[in-house]
Amino acid sequence: MTQEKKISVKKPAYLQNDILADEIREMMKSKNKLFFNIMGSIGAGKTFLLERIAEKLSPYFRIFVINGDIATTIDADRIAKKGVDTVQINTGGGCHLNAKLIKNELDKINVDDYDIFFTENVGNLICPAAWDVGAQKNIVVVSITEGEYVIKKHPIIFKGAQIAVINKCDLDGLGFDSQVLVEDAKKIKSNMDVLCTSAKQITGIDELIASLGIKIQ
Amino acid sequence: MHEYSLASAIVNQVKQIAIEHKALKVNKVTVSADPYEMIIPELLQDAFKIIITEIELFQNAHLELLKLPAEIICLECEFKGEPSEEGDKEFAYNFKCSKCGSRDTHLNIRHLTIESVDLEILE
Ligand SMILES: Nc1nc2c(ncn2[C@@H]2O[C@H](COP(=O)(O)OP(=O)(O)O)[C@@H](O)[C@H]2O)c(=O)[nH]1
Ligand SMILES: [Mg+2]
Ligand SMILES: [Zn+2]
Repeated sequence: MTQEKKISVKKPAYLQNDILADEIREMMKSKNKLFFNIMGSIGAGKTFLLERIAEKLSPYFRIFVINGDIATTIDADRIAKKGVDTVQINTGGGCHLNAKLIKNELDKINVDDYDIFFTENVGNLICPAAWDVGAQKNIVVVSITEGEYVIKKHPIIFKGAQIAVINKCDLDGLGFDSQVLVEDAKKIKSNMDVLCTSAKQITGIDELIASLGIKIQ
Repeated sequence: MHEYSLASAIVNQVKQIAIEHKALKVNKVTVSADPYEMIIPELLQDAFKIIITEIELFQNAHLELLKLPAEIICLECEFKGEPSEEGDKEFAYNFKCSKCGSRDTHLNIRHLTIESVDLEILE
């Protein structure tokens, strides 16, 4: 004879991901490492900003960058030219990185060989918001060419971020307006750092590095 | 687009639970999510069906999705609960605190949760 039994579970569906993400965060903290998750839409300038950050930091810190893209190793190869180690994760159809994918890569290296870790998440403003990768800070990059409504249209990812970067500010005034995006970001989350950058003209990069809590002595 | 990943996270956990309880079958899986989880219910159902086709234990399983109301945390007065009204027209997720009226509020997103599973077990 069989019977039906209801089992109460009450656990998040991403339990495995959240546990793994917390483990990564704890591990990084115990080893005194920094780990940042960079999100943003396609073409916002995530890779270009990481190249600029790498240029500034690589003389002082050992850096490891994990790039997530559907296909190709273009971004990892670009950033590697700036004197940091990189690895590309090809997610196939996957629209976000997750803690398991990060863990797999960290297991292949010696974490103690590095000081600072970055991920460049898959380009989109929707799915990465829901998947914790174990970073200490989430950074969302948007560029002023994405239109003045880009932040209003994607509030959730900003609600979960500690830093919003408004990039391509060199194009300010040329039919694009950075101020609108700065104000929207502040309105969505009053306690978030909001910065204007130009990866092209190398402005705002020092402020971004300071906002990450990295001090170059 | 992340419905497939979610469905497979659900199935993996439920499979574990079914094995622990020595279940013969999984009849029903009940999950809950608030509106800001951004789940498209039909896609979640489709993904669930595709994933379970290969798994003997899940042949009769069906997925129920409970929709929870939104929850906010007010940064002004620390109120936690349902917002007073839908967010303003411009900032869809800046809900108004139902205690002090501030719009400086955070969404307390309650992630997709596995509430319960109905298992067929031996008596
Ligand atoms: N004008 C301008 N172009 C930029 C800036 N940052 C990135 N770009 C350009 O935008 C395009 C996409 O940049 P990329 O870093 O690959 O974006 P990702 O998809 O977010 O990694 C490239 O053609 C970059 O040269 C910037 O600050 N100003
Ligand atoms: Mg890129
Ligand atoms: Zn309040």
